[in-house]
Amino acid sequence: MNKKPAIQEFIKGLWDENPVLVQLLGLCPTLAVTVSAENGLAMGVAATFVLVCSSFLISLLRNVIPNQVRIASYIVIIATFVTIADRFLAAYTPDISKSLGPFIPLIIVNCMILGRQEAFASKNKLGRALLDALGMGAGFTLALLVLSSVREVLGSGTWFGMDVMWASFSTWKVMSLPPGAFLTLGCMIAAANWINRRRQT
Amino acid sequence: MSNSAKIIIVLTVITLFSGGVLALLDNFTAPKIKAHQEEVKNRALRAALPDNDRVQELTKGDYRFYAAYRDNEIVALAFEASGGGYQSELRLMVGVTPDFNTITGAVILEQVETPGLGTKIQEDPANKENPGWFMGQFTGLRTEPEISYVKNEEPGNDHEVRAITGATISSKAVVNILNEHIKKAEAAWNE
Amino acid sequence: MDSAFSMGIAVTFVMVIAAMVTWLIYYLVLVPFNLKILEYVSFILVIASLVQLVEMFIRKVSKPLYDALGIFLPLITTNCAILGLALYAILNEYNFLQTLAYAVGAGAGFTLALVIMAGIREELELVEVPRSFKGAAITMVIAGSLALAFMGFAGLI
Repeated sequence: MNKKPAIQEFIKGLWDENPVLVQLLGLCPTLAVTVSAENGLAMGVAATFVLVCSSFLISLLRNVIPNQVRIASYIVIIATFVTIADRFLAAYTPDISKSLGPFIPLIIVNCMILGRQEAFASKNKLGRALLDALGMGAGFTLALLVLSSVREVLGSGTWFGMDVMWASFSTWKVMSLPPGAFLTLGCMIAAANWINRRRQT
Repeated sequence: MSNSAKIIIVLTVITLFSGGVLALLDNFTAPKIKAHQEEVKNRALRAALPDNDRVQELTKGDYRFYAAYRDNEIVALAFEASGGGYQSELRLMVGVTPDFNTITGAVILEQVETPGLGTKIQEDPANKENPGWFMGQFTGLRTEPEISYVKNEEPGNDHEVRAITGATISSKAVVNILNEHIKKAEAAWNE
Repeated sequence: MDSAFSMGIAVTFVMVIAAMVTWLIYYLVLVPFNLKILEYVSFILVIASLVQLVEMFIRKVSKPLYDALGIFLPLITTNCAILGLALYAILNEYNFLQTLAYAVGAGAGFTLALVIMAGIREELELVEVPRSFKGAAITMVIAGSLALAFMGFAGLI
């Protein structure tokens, strides 16, 4: 078994194995909902909730679930938690639920979540699985927050709905549109590559 | 225990567990979600209908009408109208006088148009005093011969609205949806 | 590029069947029995089983194609477009025929984008890309430019 200190499982998700910037997992919601910082944060938190709950349950059940039907079992468990998150958002924060639209159910098919179950939670003890899920969730949320902040500031001139740019600032409409998501994410991945290379040398 | 029996048992237990949890959750959240939808509808009705004593729901044909009464006489009718926008389905609540000739108010119930462009039909951040100016134009608008729109100038006729620069398609969609549904609703109402 | 096309076809196939089956499940089972809360769970199970079927079918019919698609075949399950399409069809209250047309159109569009992307990436092999942008980063930038080009077509009709 791996002998790394447990805290390492948390930290790796933040940068070295960041799900968005390094592993390129779960890009669909990343690209689609990051029009505003508020949406980015809400999506990050919802995905983290689902990830942590599913990892918890699947790590508990790791010796019970037969190998042949593991993916089906994971997906049912994930879909259950996603429905819970979706209904809670709809009941308590209707505005956010509306602006995220069908992207909350799409957390089910977020590769990051299924990927962590397959690669980690199903093979590790409860504590490590939880730390791993928290780290990955935090890394995902951070990446989403940065991406959505860049897009909101440039695309609408606001940050969390507050005006942050000078009055004559002309908004870059394209940043609010799908191409803006691809372009910004491309630059963020390049920046991450650049920083990693500098650290190595 | 044989492996296939185990597979069946595990899958059944997981699905049952999932169903049970969700049933509980449904009991718990459904009333809240319903109350919220009710509130959205009521807010839309207040905006689409003029002052009234009471509102009564009536279903005729494909439409559900909300009839606003004042002194026991119908002063306006509201109904839902929906159709395709630029990239999403637009759902509107529109109120008209009982002869269907004048709009008493129109609001957007739901839209997922392009952020920063098409969404201006609901909220235009460039117009700080009156962000809802586009939909506001419909209040008091004549529906005969039909609603139309002009670009980059002030509307000259009482059946014209001004389209939003940069969101012509979404503006046009609202006009088309209203024209189509007001005609259909009038036919349904008079049946 | 060939495998991009095959992938597109496989996704389109799953998309069309999934959209039809989920539509039927939603309106014939979930709505009458008031089980809307099971929407996501039942939809994803339908999609996962369909992908399994397609996988078995391709393995039987064309082994080389099966090997070329490799790991990406089972991953169709987690292709957002499929679940997203099924959910959008319900959200927009499409009828059965509209749902069918919507799925075929979306599948064709997906195939088109995939083939164009594959074509550009082949050319990319011969180009000198700044070191930090190599790999995923430049792909994202290309996808962004493509999306921009496609947006130009929107609204023409």
